[in-house]
Amino acid sequence: MDFLMLLISTGLVSGAAYGLIAMGFALVYKSTGVVNFAQGEIVMLTAYIAFSIANGLHLSFVPLVLVTIPISMLIGLVLERIFIRPMLGEPVFAIVMATVGLAVILRSATIMIWGSEPFNFTAGMSTAVIKLGGIPFYPAQLYLMAALGMVVLAIWLFLRFSRYGIAMRAVAANETAALLTGVSVNQVHALAWMLSSGIAAVAGLLFAANFKLAPDIWFQGLKSFPAVILGGMDSVTGAALGGLIIGLIENLSQGYIGEGMREIAGFIVIILVLMIRPYGLFGSRDIERV
Amino acid sequence: MLALNNIQVLYDKSIEAVRDVSLEVPAGAIVALLGSNGAGKSTILKAISGVLGQEDGEITSGVIHLEGNAISGETPRAIIQHGLLQVPEGRALFATLTVEENLLMGGFTRTRAETAEELERVYTLFPRVHERRTQTAGYLSGGEQQMVAIGRALMGRPRLLMLDEPSLGLAPQIVDVIFEAILGLNHNTGLTVLLVEQNAQLALQVSSYGYIIENGRIVLDGKAEKLRANDDVQEFYLGFAGGARKSMRDVKHYKRRKRWLS
Repeated sequence: MDFLMLLISTGLVSGAAYGLIAMGFALVYKSTGVVNFAQGEIVMLTAYIAFSIANGLHLSFVPLVLVTIPISMLIGLVLERIFIRPMLGEPVFAIVMATVGLAVILRSATIMIWGSEPFNFTAGMSTAVIKLGGIPFYPAQLYLMAALGMVVLAIWLFLRFSRYGIAMRAVAANETAALLTGVSVNQVHALAWMLSSGIAAVAGLLFAANFKLAPDIWFQGLKSFPAVILGGMDSVTGAALGGLIIGLIENLSQGYIGEGMREIAGFIVIILVLMIRPYGLFGSRDIERV
Repeated sequence: MLALNNIQVLYDKSIEAVRDVSLEVPAGAIVALLGSNGAGKSTILKAISGVLGQEDGEITSGVIHLEGNAISGETPRAIIQHGLLQVPEGRALFATLTVEENLLMGGFTRTRAETAEELERVYTLFPRVHERRTQTAGYLSGGEQQMVAIGRALMGRPRLLMLDEPSLGLAPQIVDVIFEAILGLNHNTGLTVLLVEQNAQLALQVSSYGYIIENGRIVLDGKAEKLRANDDVQEFYLGFAGGARKSMRDVKHYKRRKRWLS
C-alpha cells in the first residue's frame, strides 16, 4: 500500500510538471495553430535564468517567481517577434520547422552561457521533508503541485472572462472574423507566446528545484507531449489534467510493469489516444454547420 | 459617404479578382451590389474592410475614400473604428464561443459602457438571440447565426454596415425577419447599408441604388427601380423571360459570348 501511495504521489508531482509544460504547448497551439517545439527549451532557458537571478539577488521562492515570470514573458515576446512574426502567412509546417530550429538555438545558447555541468538549485526553498497523511513530500514537490493548480485557475479565469482571453479564443475559432471585429491577430499571437513562456518559467523553476538544473531539461518538453495529446491540443486546462494522468500512468507502469516503462508509457498513450479519440479528452471537435 | 475609385484587386499577385470597380454609397442609403458566384462581390467587401491579406490579396490600384479620407491601406481595426463594419459571408461566427461572447467580441474596439449599452440594443432587436445567449454559437440554426452575426457587427457601432449575402441558405421567413431588422435600422437610426446579394429580387426591393458586377467588373448600375425594369436584369437576375419560357440553350449561348480582348 505504501508503495502504491508513493508511486501515486511522485507520479502526481512529475505529472504536475508535465501539466505546466503542456499548458504552454496548448496555449500557443490554440491561438496560433502552431506546435511550438521549442517549448521545452524555453522551460530550460527560463530555469537557468531563474537560477542566475536566485544566485545574484538571493531571493526566496515567491519573490524569485515574481521576478522570473515577467522576464520570461519578455523573452517569449522577443522570440515571437524575431522568429515567428516574420513567418506569418507561411504554411504552418514551415513555422513549426522554425520552432524546431529555435529549439536547437536555445539549447546550444543555454549550454554556451551556463555550461553543461548540472547545478543544484533549491530556488530558495527548504529541503526538510513534510509528511502529509503519512506520505513524505519535499516542499518543492508541494510547490509544484500548488503551482499547477494556481496556473490552471488563472488561465481559466483569463480565457473565460477577460477581454483578451475571449479574443484569444475568438482568434482560435475564426481568424478573419476576429480581424473583422477589430482584434489584432498579431497581438493575440504575441500574447500567447508571452503567457506560454511565463508558464514555462514556473515549470522550469520548479522542475529544476525538484530534480536538478541540467541542460537536459529541454527533454521534458518532448515528454510532456503525451499530456497535450491526451488533454486535447487546444484545451489549456485539459493539458494540465492530461499531465497529471500521464505522470500517474508513467509512475505506475514503471512500478508494476517494469523498469524502463516510464520512458515509453506516455508515448503508448499518444498512440492509443490518436486511435480512439484523436481530439483528446477535452479538445474541440470542429463544429461544422452549413 | 463611401466611395471606391477604380479599385483593382489581385490575389497572389497574379489572379485579378476585381478590376476598375468604382462605386458610391451615399449616407443613409441602402445600396445593393449584385452578381453571381465568383463575380468579385465578397472581394470588394474584404478590400473595404482591409482583410484581403488573409487570403494573399492586395489592392493594386485605386483608392477607397470614407467621407473624403482615404482608408485603403489602414488596418482592419482602424477601419472598424471609422464605423465601417462587415457581416461576413456565411456568418463566420466564433463557433466555439457562446452567443454572448460572440457579441462581446463585436464590441472589442468599444469601451465597456458602450458595449453593455449596445448589447441591450441587440437583444431588443433580436429577442431570439437573447434567448440563446448562453449557448455555443456553432450549434444555433442558420437564421439565429445570421442574427448573431449582424448583432456582432452592430456591437461595433457601425455608421456603414456591409452585409455579405445575409439571405444565403436561409428560409424565406427568416430572411424576412432579417431584412425587416435591417430596414428598421436604416429608417430609425439612419444606418447606411451596403448589401451584397445573389438574391436580386430581394435586394432591389429594399435598396435605392444598385450595382451589378460580373467577372470582377461593374457592368450596370442605376436606381433600383430602373434596374428592376431593365430587360437583361430581368432575364438574368430576376428570372423573368418576357412571358414565354426560354430554352436553356439560348440562354447559355448568350452568356457564353466572351470577349477575349477588352
